[in-house]
Amino acid sequence: MQTQLADFIKDTPEGREADAILRTCVHCGFCTATCPTYQLLGDELDGPRGRIYLIKQVLEGGPVTERTRLHLDRCLTCRSCETTCPSGVKYHRLLDIGRQVVEENVPRGGLEALTRLALKEVLPRPWLFNPAVAVGKVLKPFLPSALGDKIPEAAGAPAKPRPTAVRQRKVLALAGCVQPGLAPNINAAAARVLDRLGIQMIEEEKAGCCGALRFHLNAQEAALDDMRRNIDAWWPHVEAGAEAILMTASGCGAHVKEYGLLLKDDPLYAAKAARIADLTQDAAELVMAQKDALLPLLAHRPAAGRKVAFHSPCTLQHGQKIRGVVEELLEAAGFTLTPVADSHLCCGSAGTYSILQPVLSKQLRDNKLSALTAGLPEVIATANIGCLTHLQSGLGSPSSRPSIAGVRHWIELLEDQLTAPETDSAAGTVA
Amino acid sequence: MSQAFEQQCRERILAASAGAPLLIQGGGSKAFYGRPVQGEILDTRSHRGVVAYEPTELVVTVKAGTPLAELEAVLAEKGQYLAFEPPHFGSEATVGGMVAAGLSGPRRAQAGAVRDFVLGVRLMDGQGQALNFGGQVMKNVAGYDVPRLMAGSLGQLGLLLEVSLKVLPRPVAEATLRLETSQAKALTLMNQWGGKPLPIVATAWEKTGEGESLTVRLAGARAAVQSAQAVLGGDVLERGAAAAFWDDLREQRLPFFPAAGSFGATGSAGGPALWRLSLPSTAPTLELPGPQLVEWGGAQRWLASDAQARHVREVVEKAGGHATLFRGTAEAREQAFHPLAAPLLAIHRRLRASFDPRGAFAAGRLYEGL
Amino acid sequence: MGDRLPDSPDFATDRAALLAGLGRILPASRLYGELEDLKPYECDGLTAYRNLPLAVALPETEAEVQSILKFCSANQVPVVPRGAATGLSGGAMPHHQGLLLSLAKFKKILKVNPVARTALVQPGVRNLAVSEAAAPYNLYYAPDPSSQIACTIGGNVSENSGGVHCLKYGLTVHNVLQVRGYTMEGEPVTIGSAGLDAAGLDLLAVMNGSEGMLTVITEVLVKLTPKPQVAKVVLAYFDSVTKAGNAVADVIAAGIIPAGLEMMDKAATHAVEPYVQAGYDLEAEAVLLCESDGTPEEVEEEIAAMRAVLEKSGATSLRVSANEAERLRFWAGRKAAFPAVGRITPDYLCMDGTIPRKNLAKMLLAIADMEKKYGLRCANVFHAGDGNLHPLIMYDANQPGELERATAFGAEILELSVALGGSITGEHGVGVEKITQMCAQFTPEELALFHGLKAAFDPAGLLNPGKAVPTPARCREYRQIRGEQA
Repeated sequence: MQTQLADFIKDTPEGREADAILRTCVHCGFCTATCPTYQLLGDELDGPRGRIYLIKQVLEGGPVTERTRLHLDRCLTCRSCETTCPSGVKYHRLLDIGRQVVEENVPRGGLEALTRLALKEVLPRPWLFNPAVAVGKVLKPFLPSALGDKIPEAAGAPAKPRPTAVRQRKVLALAGCVQPGLAPNINAAAARVLDRLGIQMIEEEKAGCCGALRFHLNAQEAALDDMRRNIDAWWPHVEAGAEAILMTASGCGAHVKEYGLLLKDDPLYAAKAARIADLTQDAAELVMAQKDALLPLLAHRPAAGRKVAFHSPCTLQHGQKIRGVVEELLEAAGFTLTPVADSHLCCGSAGTYSILQPVLSKQLRDNKLSALTAGLPEVIATANIGCLTHLQSGLGSPSSRPSIAGVRHWIELLEDQLTAPETDSAAGTVA
Repeated sequence: MSQAFEQQCRERILAASAGAPLLIQGGGSKAFYGRPVQGEILDTRSHRGVVAYEPTELVVTVKAGTPLAELEAVLAEKGQYLAFEPPHFGSEATVGGMVAAGLSGPRRAQAGAVRDFVLGVRLMDGQGQALNFGGQVMKNVAGYDVPRLMAGSLGQLGLLLEVSLKVLPRPVAEATLRLETSQAKALTLMNQWGGKPLPIVATAWEKTGEGESLTVRLAGARAAVQSAQAVLGGDVLERGAAAAFWDDLREQRLPFFPAAGSFGATGSAGGPALWRLSLPSTAPTLELPGPQLVEWGGAQRWLASDAQARHVREVVEKAGGHATLFRGTAEAREQAFHPLAAPLLAIHRRLRASFDPRGAFAAGRLYEGL
Repeated sequence: MGDRLPDSPDFATDRAALLAGLGRILPASRLYGELEDLKPYECDGLTAYRNLPLAVALPETEAEVQSILKFCSANQVPVVPRGAATGLSGGAMPHHQGLLLSLAKFKKILKVNPVARTALVQPGVRNLAVSEAAAPYNLYYAPDPSSQIACTIGGNVSENSGGVHCLKYGLTVHNVLQVRGYTMEGEPVTIGSAGLDAAGLDLLAVMNGSEGMLTVITEVLVKLTPKPQVAKVVLAYFDSVTKAGNAVADVIAAGIIPAGLEMMDKAATHAVEPYVQAGYDLEAEAVLLCESDGTPEEVEEEIAAMRAVLEKSGATSLRVSANEAERLRFWAGRKAAFPAVGRITPDYLCMDGTIPRKNLAKMLLAIADMEKKYGLRCANVFHAGDGNLHPLIMYDANQPGELERATAFGAEILELSVALGGSITGEHGVGVEKITQMCAQFTPEELALFHGLKAAFDPAGLLNPGKAVPTPARCREYRQIRGEQA
């Protein structure tokens, strides 16, 4: 596509990157077909191609008001469009750049600014967030539903005991910001699975939020600080030979894998950031790499045959391009996967989207739950804490959908299988 | 020769007027079809011959006055044919008349209609201008699709001079099966089969002195025809008998069709009129007086009936279709075609005016004044 | 380039009055009139031609469409209908004095009838969504343009879209039974029927490929086709494009009608391979994709026949799809070819000429010469079985003069298509892009008849004016220039 970037940005690193991205787009419109918001709204301005055009307009010095910001705000950053795009347009980077320029030109006011500030400051800090959830639970009946819905009815299953064995093979794991409070068993389950595979999982306390939250709320400098802090916290372990940095939330994984790119212009951190990004693996990748060790452990487990609907988070399938891996692991563990229509579409969670765009988010969540429950699964599995709590909030109380046990991280399901009592493989039909 | 013919036509068209219009005619084999019109005959039969035929391109271009039988013979020599199996209704039938009448034979439901095979036309409009539309290629969206519009236009838009048609290789294998079944059951079967990847190319249900039967023609690769035969069951018709049956159906020589000339006005005692009912294939058996013969998987039904035209049309329209009084007395054929909604009729009138502003061609074959 | 529509008459539309009038029909959230919102609507899939509309309307109901048309008709406001705007000829490029009428919100599949084998859909339904909805019944919608993931049925009807399987299964015109919509005056019309034909002239035939210039479509009844039991595709590689071109004619000459017969040259396979990872041989100069479908026995028989012909025609190697996933991957590469070329060039123009198959090799050689003449690269992707060429002329719009050279390159290909007995467009439509070349393909009298045909549907000439059919003035100028060159 033809571009004529304006002077204010044309010669900056962002300007050059944006120009290169814009020029790969040929405006074919394939992306609109898999964009969740375009599919809901049918408006060019609410699809990737239209947003690219809006950003192009901004970067070319065109008019920019709340009208442009509205359509950029509506983007989930699910990156489904990137999976669809035959030309290889790096849409999410262009959006990051565009959003920042728009944010500077069209500052927010009033309640909107406050909400965003609160999200930026509270969510990434477990010491603030966990008590806030507790308070929120008490206040839930009095909160606007967009916020109230986000407060989980029941935090995930209670954490199982963590293994205590010290092993030679070690991986680092990110504890994350909201996950320990909402679903503490996820990382416990990961540690237990890895322990069975002969790997010790370490969580470095000094690491915190991966930075994605603030980055996508356009607090990009603050986000870079989050990232530098994590790098500093992890670096001694990396030097000590940690094999990988494990992510049990695909949202965090997608972001940490971009550390190298995002810090490439920071002379102090560029090299370390690239190394950290290289070492980062989603739990699916890490466990799949140990498949040879895993399969024998599952061989004598009861063939569960439980029907599972897997929701692949956008940050897993589009962001990290990890497709079919979790599905294969679940099937290896004896689960039966039910078919899910439009599995490429976002559930509407998308970080803070569910709070900032409640109407669209709810529509997407309800559509997603219809697709997930169509095959009558017993449980829904996913790979990201955001999707997990979002979908759980749509399921409502267990009494409203008694047939579904809830939404869980797939590693918890796998761990349940590993610890289920062994049976004689011939008998293999324990319910 | 073409030039001389075109020049002659141009002169006659320019000399004609709404008061003394021309009636385009080939062999006159389909003169019975449509509203009765008067005009000085413009005979196309001297304009004949194949202009271009390249079997590997799957296209033939012929002059409009070429006898249809002659074209079919040329194609047969190369193992090709007109897949829509146009009815001739007489040995004099011409290619131009075939396109202008827009009628297709038993294979229509599977292969497509005449209009689906018309790739290009050279025509002379009402101002004597020779114009070319479409061409000799399979895909062509330059300008509006005038060639397909000419199919079934019954000489109301212009004089066809040449037509280019898509042709296909003849299928390797064919078989015809016959099953005893009622009309209702036959309709169900045809629609069920239609949803399956079976090589069914024609169907016909009829009731004769011998009973009610559904005749099915399969065609395609040998293996496909064989396996379908096993799926459908029924009795296999001997080759010669099968070919004769489909020919007789196409040419309306089966006993169901009353002999030409014996048609009466609808509702009179003179004899039944022949109706062509075009319906969604899933329309149920229609309660109308007179025998019916069902083709095209249920989408074309022939009715020999002396019921009032209005009644026939009401019943058919309710079922989502339209009714054509195909053969009947001149009086009955005053309303040969199903009435059009007002906005469509207005478009028809303006279309005719744009092709023939002076009224050189006799109007009224389709609808009054058009 | 092309920020105006020289073939359209002038309209004195007042934006404020237009917005006020439409504001009584639509809520503000579905009516745009600010530059910021209008800009992304300024073009369709052909970005070289852009034009800002005065307003964009996004109706949701037929009543809204009718009211909008009545208002615009009464106030002499031109209207350009638009679906997914994936078109490649600028057919949905807005009118600078008019309204852009988006039908993208009409995306309901109203009914799939497995017994009648039909689907009743709104015009904004994506082509692929129809097949997805029909899949549980083992049916599908046969025309499969390469943009089928995104392009809509309304647009398909307007362009008479083809696809990679239309040699055997036909174009849109062969697979649409009925269209409902509104004339520019807001009169409801039903064209075609739920049966196989309708009374009167075959207006449905002209609706297909009418480039949104006759009526606004609000509902389409399409025919569904049973899925074949088996489909397999043969990949045949060649060490020269001319050999591949000749092989196409050989296949047809052998009496085979493949379910699909497509060709890509080396430049095209190099562009798509990183996207689909289909495993195309990147050394070969050209690849033919030749598909057979039917019963298992039938397919086996036909594949054997295809192999024999292709080997005789000089294929250097052959590969048959091993399973359905691989077959789909082979096709995915072909279908993504246009945008994938975006990986190797910032801009491209996609041509759409059709020629008799026997001239494929001749055309390919001529294009190779033109690459040198214009100093631009060209990737070739063909619906070879239909003789429909899609040369993708690569250029960089940021380099002064390149678009002009690319345009001249394209024009020469189109004019050669006509000279070789073909047409300037097989399935993309004329739009604004090829309007000059219409003067090469048609005489003034023929073009006058097209204008008359349009006027029969739209006497005031308000629906998508200035597209597809050039004015006599443009053609006089064209002939003058050509005459001087000759």
